[in-house]
Amino acid sequence: MSEEVDISVEFAGIRLANPVFTASGTSGYADELSDFMDVSSLGGFITKSITVNPRKGNATPRIVETDSGMLNAIGWANIGLDAFIEEKLAALEKLSCAVFVNIAGETINEYVAVAERLAGERAIAGLELNISCPNVEVGGISFGTDPEQVAEVTSAVKKVAGDKVLMVKLAPAVTNVSVIAQVAVDSGADALSLINTFTAMVIDIETRKPILANRTGGLSGPAIKPIAVYLVNKVYNEVTKSLGIPILGMGGIRTASDAIEFIIAGASAVAVGTASFIDPGCSVKIIDGIKEYCVSNNISNIKELVGSLEAEQNAAN
Amino acid sequence: MLEKSSAVKRGVFSATVCSNKQIRERFYRLVLEFSGAGAEAFAKIGAGQFAQLDLSDTALPPVETIPDDLADVAERKILLRRPFSFADVTTKGNKTSVDILYCVVGPATLRMTTLSARESVSVLGPLGNGFWVPDGKKTALLVSGGMGTGPLQHLAKILTADFPDINVIAFAGARSAEALPFERQLDEISQQLGFSLPEFAKYGVESLVATDDGSAGFAGPVTDCISEWLGSSKSAGKSMVIYSCGPEAMLARVAEIAREKNIDCQVSMERRMACGISLCQSCAVECKTAGSNDTFYKLCCEDGPVFDSAEVVF
Ligand SMILES: Cc1cc2nc3c(=O)[nH]c(=O)nc-3n(C[C@H](O)[C@H](O)[C@H](O)COP(=O)(O)OP(=O)(O)OC[C@H]3O[C@@H](n4cnc5c(N)ncnc54)[C@H](O)[C@@H]3O)c2cc1C
Ligand SMILES: Cc1cc2nc3c(=O)[nH]c(=O)nc-3n(C[C@H](O)[C@H](O)[C@H](O)COP(=O)(O)O)c2cc1C
Ligand code: FES
Repeated sequence: MSEEVDISVEFAGIRLANPVFTASGTSGYADELSDFMDVSSLGGFITKSITVNPRKGNATPRIVETDSGMLNAIGWANIGLDAFIEEKLAALEKLSCAVFVNIAGETINEYVAVAERLAGERAIAGLELNISCPNVEVGGISFGTDPEQVAEVTSAVKKVAGDKVLMVKLAPAVTNVSVIAQVAVDSGADALSLINTFTAMVIDIETRKPILANRTGGLSGPAIKPIAVYLVNKVYNEVTKSLGIPILGMGGIRTASDAIEFIIAGASAVAVGTASFIDPGCSVKIIDGIKEYCVSNNISNIKELVGSLEAEQNAAN
Repeated sequence: MLEKSSAVKRGVFSATVCSNKQIRERFYRLVLEFSGAGAEAFAKIGAGQFAQLDLSDTALPPVETIPDDLADVAERKILLRRPFSFADVTTKGNKTSVDILYCVVGPATLRMTTLSARESVSVLGPLGNGFWVPDGKKTALLVSGGMGTGPLQHLAKILTADFPDINVIAFAGARSAEALPFERQLDEISQQLGFSLPEFAKYGVESLVATDDGSAGFAGPVTDCISEWLGSSKSAGKSMVIYSCGPEAMLARVAEIAREKNIDCQVSMERRMACGISLCQSCAVECKTAGSNDTFYKLCCEDGPVFDSAEVVF
C-alpha cells in the first residue's frame, strides 16, 4: 500500500528519493554514519563545512547541553579542501543520494576558491553556502546578517558554481529573514536552507565564566524547532512560494511529525541535525514515518503537503 | 602485543539492567546485560572502550533524596547520551554483561540511580580505542583517581588473564577514604601501604591506596605515591608501562612522571561528548608529535579515549 505514495521530491532540478537530508556538521563525511544506517537511503547528504585550508577548530569545551538543546562552538574544524577531495570524495560519489558540500570561508575569495574546485566534481549535486555560522570570528555570520554581503558572496559563488545547485543557508537571528532570503534568491540562490543555529551562551555561576571556550555557541536541537518552523513558513510565504524556489527546513527535527510540520510550513525537504547524535539512524525512521503519514492521510504525492498550512481563519479581525 | 582495540560493528542496542547497587554515598555499580547482536558486539571489548547511554527517559529519584547541591540541576532535561566506560565484562552463553562504576554528578547520573532490575537502557557502542600492551613489558602500573578505577579494573582482569608474565600493580587515589569508590569499608582493611583492594585482589593484583587527606593509605596525591614507589623500584624504565585514568590534572602529572622516568604511559581522556561517533567534533584533545611544536586536535571518541601520554598536550 505504501508503494502508492510518492515521497520523492524535485528539489531545484534534482530528483530526491525522499525529502530527508542529514544536516551539515552533524553527520561527518558520511562514512561515520554507515554503521547505523544506509546513507544512500537518504534524500540527500550534506557534509560539514569545508574551507580552503584545514582548520583545527576551537579550544574545548566546544559543546554544552541545555534544556532540550545544545550549544556548539566547533569552529569549522575540517580537513580542508585538498584533503576533502583526495580522501572523502570517492566514498561520497558511491552514495546514491544527492550530495551537497557545505562551504565556508572568512572572505569572499575563500568561498569562491572552494566552490570553483568543487564545481567540476561529479560526486556533488550541490553546494550549501554557509553564511550563517555563529562560531567563527571573521566572516561567517556577518556575511549572513548584512544584505549587501549576502548579495556579494552569493553572486560570486554562483558565477563559479557551474551546474551545481546553489543553496544558501540562512542565519535565523536577523531583523527580517525574508529580506536576506530575497537578496540570496535575487543573487542566484537555487534553494534556501534554514535555519542555522542561534548564537547563545551558558554561564557557570561558580566561576562566572561562560562554559564554552569560545564564550558563545550556536543553539540547536528541539528547543529551536518552533522558531525554525515559523521562519520557514515566513520565508515560504514572503519569498519562495511565488518563485518556486525550494526550502530545506531544519532546526530541532527528531521525529517524522517534526519533519511534517516543516513540510506543511513550506519546506520541500528537511534536514536532521542534533537528533543524529542521540540516534544516528533516526533519519531512516523519519523517512518511514513520513511515508506512513502520507498513507494514513490519503496523500499520494508529498508535493501536496508542501506549504499546505491552512490559511488563517480569523485574520485581521 | 594486544593491538589497539578497533571496535567490532557498533550499533544502538537495548540492554537490560541486572543490578544497580550503591557502593558509597555518591558511587554506584550498574550491571547491564546484552543478548543477541549486543552481546556479540560487547563480548570482546577492550579495557578503556566506552559506550553512550540514553538516560533521557529515566526517572528522577524522589525529591527528598536528591542531594542539596544537585537540587537545581535535577530540574534539567537531558537531551544527549552520556559516555561511560566499563569496570568488567563477562560472557555467559550467548549473553554479555558489563559493569559500569559511576559517580553521581549531574542530571543524567542522578537519574541513573533509579534504574532497577529488568528495566531496559539504550546503549550506543562499543566505542573508541582502549588500552593496549606494547611489546616487551614486564610491569604494568594502573594509576587511577576517583572513578577512574573502573576501566583499570577491567584492564587488571585482561592483563592477568592474557599476559601472565606482566606483573600488575594498582594505585588508587581519592580526596579521602570516603571518596574512594570501592565497596568494602576501608577501616576493615589495613591502613598501611601494601594492602589489597578486593576489586584488584580477585585478579591477584596488589594495590596501593592514596588519599589527599591521609584518611586511608598513603597520605597525599596518588601521583606522589607512584613517584615514591618508582623512586625505590629497580625496574622503572623501558620494561614498564603506566596506564592511567582519572581527573585531567592527575593525568598530566602522571604523564610528567612517566616522561622523567622514560616509561611508556597511556592515559584515558574525558571530554564533553555529544555523539561519541565522530559526527560532531566536540571532543577535541590537543595533541602533538614528538619533536614538533605544532599541535593538532584528535577526537577523544574516535582516536581515544586512550592516548599515548606523550602525544597529549596537557
Ligand atoms: C570516555 C568517557 C568515559 C567515562 N566513563 C565514566 C565512568 O566509567 N564512570 C563515571 O562515573 N563517569 C564516566 N565518565 C564521565 C561521565 O560521562 C559524566 O560524569 C556524565 O556524563 C555526567 O552526566 P550528568 O548529566 O550526570 O552531569 P553533567 O551535568 O553532564 O556534568 C556534571 C559536571 O561535570 C562536568 N562535566 C561533564 N562532562 C564532562 C567532561 N567530559 N569533562 C569534564 N567535565 C565534565 C560538568 O561541567 C558538570 O560540572 C566518562 C566520560 C568519558 C568521556
Ligand atoms: C555540532 C554541530 C556542528 C555544526 N556544524 C555546522 C557546519 O559546519 N556548517 C553548517 O552550516 N551548519 C552546522 N551546524 C548547524 C546544523 O547544520 C543545523 O543547521 C542546526 O544544528 C539546526 O538543526 P538541528 O536543531 O536539527 O541540529 C552544526 C550544528 C551542530 C549541532
Ligand atoms: S563526541 Fe562527537 S565527535 Fe567525539
